[in-house]
Amino acid sequence: MQKRVTFSHRYLPYLLVAPQIIITVIFFIWPAGQAVVQSVLVEDAFGLSTEFVWFENYQELFADPSYLQTFYRTIVFSFSTAALAMGFSLLLAVMADRIIKGESVYKTMLIWPYAVAPALAGVLWFMMFNPTIGIISFLLGKVGVSWNHYLNGDQAFLLVVIAAAWKQISYNFVFFLAGLQAVPRSLIEAAAIDGAGPFRRFWSIVFPLLSPTTFFLLVVNLVYAFFDTFAVIHATTQGGPAKATEILVYKVFNDGFIGLDLGGSAAQSVVLMVIVIVLTIVQFKYVERKVAY
Amino acid sequence: MATIKIDGLKKRYANGFEAIHGIDLDVADGELVVIVGPSGCGKSTLLRMVAGLETITEGTLSIDGTVVNDHEPGQRDIAMVFQNYALYPHMSVFNNMAYGLRNRGVGREEIKRKVADVAAILELGDLLDRKPAQLSGGQRQRVAMGRAIVRDPKVFLFDEPLSNLDAKLRVQMRIEIKRLQRRLGTTSLYVTHDQVEAMTLADRLVVMNAGRPEQIGTPMDIYTNPASMFVAGFIGSPAMNFLALERMEGGRLRLPGSEAMLAEDDGSNGAPVLGIRPEHMRTVGTAADADIVLSVDAIEPLGADTLVYGRALGQEGEIVLRLGGSHSIGEGDNLPVAFDRNHLHFFDRANGRRADVRT
Repeated sequence: MQKRVTFSHRYLPYLLVAPQIIITVIFFIWPAGQAVVQSVLVEDAFGLSTEFVWFENYQELFADPSYLQTFYRTIVFSFSTAALAMGFSLLLAVMADRIIKGESVYKTMLIWPYAVAPALAGVLWFMMFNPTIGIISFLLGKVGVSWNHYLNGDQAFLLVVIAAAWKQISYNFVFFLAGLQAVPRSLIEAAAIDGAGPFRRFWSIVFPLLSPTTFFLLVVNLVYAFFDTFAVIHATTQGGPAKATEILVYKVFNDGFIGLDLGGSAAQSVVLMVIVIVLTIVQFKYVERKVAY
Repeated sequence: MATIKIDGLKKRYANGFEAIHGIDLDVADGELVVIVGPSGCGKSTLLRMVAGLETITEGTLSIDGTVVNDHEPGQRDIAMVFQNYALYPHMSVFNNMAYGLRNRGVGREEIKRKVADVAAILELGDLLDRKPAQLSGGQRQRVAMGRAIVRDPKVFLFDEPLSNLDAKLRVQMRIEIKRLQRRLGTTSLYVTHDQVEAMTLADRLVVMNAGRPEQIGTPMDIYTNPASMFVAGFIGSPAMNFLALERMEGGRLRLPGSEAMLAEDDGSNGAPVLGIRPEHMRTVGTAADADIVLSVDAIEPLGADTLVYGRALGQEGEIVLRLGGSHSIGEGDNLPVAFDRNHLHFFDRANGRRADVRT
């Protein structure tokens, strides 16, 4: 008995996988290769001459305090966004799990934000927090908080974290809710009989049992915050004020397309590529395998 | 040590479905009461109401004289063994057992000592560091028991604890549970759909049907004196045979096609039925001495007993006969069968209750 799939024609299998391969090569492998090549070149401002400089671009990058600052900022941004998005969605999921009436309406409405384009999500929050016309900044003003993210870097940072996290809450909510519903009811009941109150039940039984979901979402959220938040930032603060919201992906764009330092920008994107690869390996190694509790 | 008093307990769900129509039950200190019935009869709901996992619609529930209707499960000082064991999968056996004690603020040293004691009783000493996933079905069952025992609660509640075990282990654990309950003397409620389990474990039995208790009594009382056709058919294996009776003039009752008058009634029973257990029939030499003649259509030799299945003239249902030892009866034989006159039961098919007759 032959278990392998056999094709009548020699080239048929190659033809069938060709579309996938072609797309991957054109849109992923080739640009990535270009970035690697570009990252060892220096080009003059007018694009007339290029020079091969070995790893000078990288050396400059890691010697540049503003790059390291951005690196640090990105890490803070990613973990803040992930923590906010996960914490809030877990809270929503726990509440949705208890709802009996109108359950589907509630769930559907919580999933909607995921369909909103990142740039729109950014603008939405930008408008609400707008120091001149924003409703939230107006209300904050009433309670004595002066909000101006055009001037205040910390407030701008908080704004992009909120906007980026809001976008991700729906996604996390769906996973957390599924995870919560997979926790057997009898375990909760056993814990109740064992004298554990609602909070203790949650922290000692439900939360540990959710850990595979939580770990998976942590990786996904970090990746999202690292790489997919360009639109949110570009639509709101554009990295400002004074680079307070400039994260790595934004710096790649800024240095490359605004500052026209193509070599340095390419080197940055290669660094980002390495980070993606590491995160992917982590995900495959630990997430794909079930996290043991 | 505690008593349970269930007084007019009712359960109605939000959608209007009434799961329990009212039940009264007093459980004495140290007694093991088994609630038995087919699935959907409300037995688990009743147990869950006692546990505090379901709200009580009407009536009162008292444990040790205190009304606990509005107490949280954790405040009722009960322990429950679930059908699927409900062991915490992320905790070791030790932590599973210690969890309830920790929640009640028992000291670290005392927890260690108590868990060790219980582990010794249940032979779990070597397994304390394992996770539930690394245990066999029987071991998980014992951990679930241990988790209940270690807290030394007033009441044990068992919700079909043996139904996930294989047949051999089930018999073994059944004996173990009974022995343990006797040794600890803890008042217990035990829910099962298995009538053998019910008969062997119970001090007293509650047979439930469609949200109502059909009969409450000792196992032997229920076996020898079933209050209804439902109870008679549910308790005992193979189930009791029911035979239609004819009413002659003067209210005398007989089997169709038979001359022997079995009883007399005043005509108030709608459709009189005779109940006779398979073990209370015997074969006789000639048709003249027989109550019925069974045309045999199947035989099951069990070694110690032989079950004979067949049909009789004028009777719709199949009739089962249990004979001691082995017999050379063949399919298609006509077997004259006589009834043990001391073990006849009469019911009224119209309402299913025991009929009032003179024999």
